[in-house]
Amino acid sequence: MLSISGPSLFIKQAMDYLRSIRKRELHIKVLLMICASVTFVGLLLIFIFVFRESLPAFTRLGLPNLFSTHWNPDVSHPEAGNYGMLPFVVGTLYTTLGGLLVGAPLGIGSAIFIDQIAPPKIGTAIGRGIELIASIPSVVIGWFGLTLLVPMIGRLTDTSGFGILAASLVLGVMVLPTIAALSLESLRALPSELKEAAYGMGATRWQTIYKVLLPAARRGVLVAVILGMGRAIGEAMAVQMVIGNSRQLTFSLTNGTSTLAARIVTDMGESSGVFRSALFAQGLILLILAMLLILTIRLVSREKKETVR
Amino acid sequence: MKATRVDRIATFFFWILGMISVGILFIIVGEIFARGLFIALKPSFFLGKPEAMKEGGGILPMIVSSIYLAVLTLLISLPLSLGAAIYLAEYSRGGKITRFIRFCADSLSSLPSIVFGLFGLAIFVVRLGWGYCLISGAFTLALLNLPTLMRSAEESLKSVPKTYREASLSLGASRWTTVRQVVVPSSLPGIITGTVLSIGRIMGESAALIFTTGTFIRKIPLNPFQTAAPLAVNIWYTQSEALVPDYRNIVNGGAAFLLLMVLVVNLVARYIGKFYRRRKGLS
Repeated sequence: MLSISGPSLFIKQAMDYLRSIRKRELHIKVLLMICASVTFVGLLLIFIFVFRESLPAFTRLGLPNLFSTHWNPDVSHPEAGNYGMLPFVVGTLYTTLGGLLVGAPLGIGSAIFIDQIAPPKIGTAIGRGIELIASIPSVVIGWFGLTLLVPMIGRLTDTSGFGILAASLVLGVMVLPTIAALSLESLRALPSELKEAAYGMGATRWQTIYKVLLPAARRGVLVAVILGMGRAIGEAMAVQMVIGNSRQLTFSLTNGTSTLAARIVTDMGESSGVFRSALFAQGLILLILAMLLILTIRLVSREKKETVR
Repeated sequence: MKATRVDRIATFFFWILGMISVGILFIIVGEIFARGLFIALKPSFFLGKPEAMKEGGGILPMIVSSIYLAVLTLLISLPLSLGAAIYLAEYSRGGKITRFIRFCADSLSSLPSIVFGLFGLAIFVVRLGWGYCLISGAFTLALLNLPTLMRSAEESLKSVPKTYREASLSLGASRWTTVRQVVVPSSLPGIITGTVLSIGRIMGESAALIFTTGTFIRKIPLNPFQTAAPLAVNIWYTQSEALVPDYRNIVNGGAAFLLLMVLVVNLVARYIGKFYRRRKGLS
C-alpha cells in the first residue's frame, strides 16, 4: 500500500502520528500540573477566606478589644460585645504544653522501646497498637475523656473535673501516635554503625540510647514533637468536650477555661456579624501558628542537611 | 557495676512506657465498647430513625451520611491527588516547582481541621450558597485529605522499580502510556491502602464538618445538596445539646459504632496491603 503513495507520504503520516502523541503528552502534563497546583490554590484560598472573614473583627472591634482578657459576646448586638481572646490563647498554649508533657515522653519512650529494647514481635505489635490510636476519631476520645477522665479528676481533686488537666490528658493521647511514629522513623534512619561503635566501646544499652542514639536523632525527634504540638494546638472537638468552655483566664489545672479551637466550636452556631468575625480571627491565629510551626520544621531540617555536608 | 544497674532500671522504664502506650489503646477501645457496643449492635439502633426530642432514636441516617460523605470526598480528592502524585513522581524533575508544591502540601496537612471547617463555611456554605450539605463537607474534606492521599500515592509510585519504566519506554511507549499501563497498575496496592485509610479518617472527622454538613437530620440524605449529619458530628452534637432524655445511650452507642467502623476500615486497609504483598512475593 505504502509503495503506491510513495515514501514521502509514509514519513508524513509517521510524523503526524508522533506529533499527535507529543501533543497528547503535553495536554496530559498540563492536566497533571493543574492537579498538583490544587495544593497551592487550596492553601491560598484558605488564607484569603479566613483572613477576609476575620477582617471586620480587626477593623470594627480593634486590637485592644480582641486582645483583652474579657470574652463577652453580645448575640443580638454583636458590635456591643467584648471579644478578648487572650484567655483562650493562654488556654491553647497551656493545654498544648500539658499535652506534650504527657504525650512526648510516652511517644519518644515508646519509639525507643520499639526500636531498641522490645523483642521484634512485641515491638511490631506495640507499633501497630500506637498506629491504631491515631485512627480513633477525636469525638470518641473526647467522649472517653468526658465520661471517664473528667469524673475521675473531679473525684480526686474535688472539683468539676473539667479543665486544663483533662484537656492535657486527652491531648497527650492524641499527640502520642504522631510523636511515636516520627521519632521511630528518625531512630530507624540512624546508621547501625553508631550503635555498634557504642556497644563496642563497652557502653550499656542505656548509655548507647542516651548518649549516642538520642543526640544523633535529636532533630528528627524535635520535628516529631513540633508536629505533635501542631496537632495539640488545633485540636477542637476532644478538647471542647472536656475543658469546660468557660470564659475565664485561668492558670489552675482544674478550672474550666477554653482554647481557640474549642471556642470556635462552642460559639460558631449562635454567632453573627463581628461576633463571627472574631471567631474567624481566632481561626486566623491558629492558621498563623500552624504556619509558624511548619516554617520552624523547615528550619530544623534544613540545618540538618548542612551539618551532613 | 553502677552502669549496668542504671541500664536495668532504664530498660524497665522503657518497658513501662511502651506498655502504657498500648494500654491507652486498650483502655479507650475497651471502655467505649463496654459502654456502647451492646447498644450499637441492636438493629433498632443502627437501623433506626433518630428522635429530636423523645428517647429511643437510632442512627441510620448518620451512618448513611458518613458513608455518602466518604464516597463524595474520594470522588473529588482521589483523581486530584493521583494526578498530583503522578506529576510529582513521574513528570517533575525535582526543581523549584516541585519543592514549592511539596511545601504547600506539607502546610496544608499541618493546618488544624477546624480551620478547614471555617474555610468550608466561608466559601462553600456561605459564598457559593450551597448551605449545610454533603457536597460542602465533601469539598472541605477533599482539601483536608489531599496532602495525605497525595503523599501515599506518590510514595507507592516511587516504589515501582525504575527498570519497569525503562522497559516500557524502550518498547516505544510514551511517558503517559508507561504511567497508565505500567507504573500505576504496579503501585495500585499502595494507592488502594492509602485510599482505604483515608476513608477511616473521613469517617472520624468532625471539626471540619460541624459548620459544613449540618449536625442533625431525621431522614436519609439522597441528594448531595441536602443537609446531612455524619456520625462523628452527630455524636458531638448529641452530647453537647443533650436534647433527648437518653442522649447518653445514643452517644455511647454511636461512639461504639463509629469506633467499630473506623477500626474495621483500618484492618481492611492493613489486610489489603498484606494480601498484595503476599501475591507479589509468590509471582
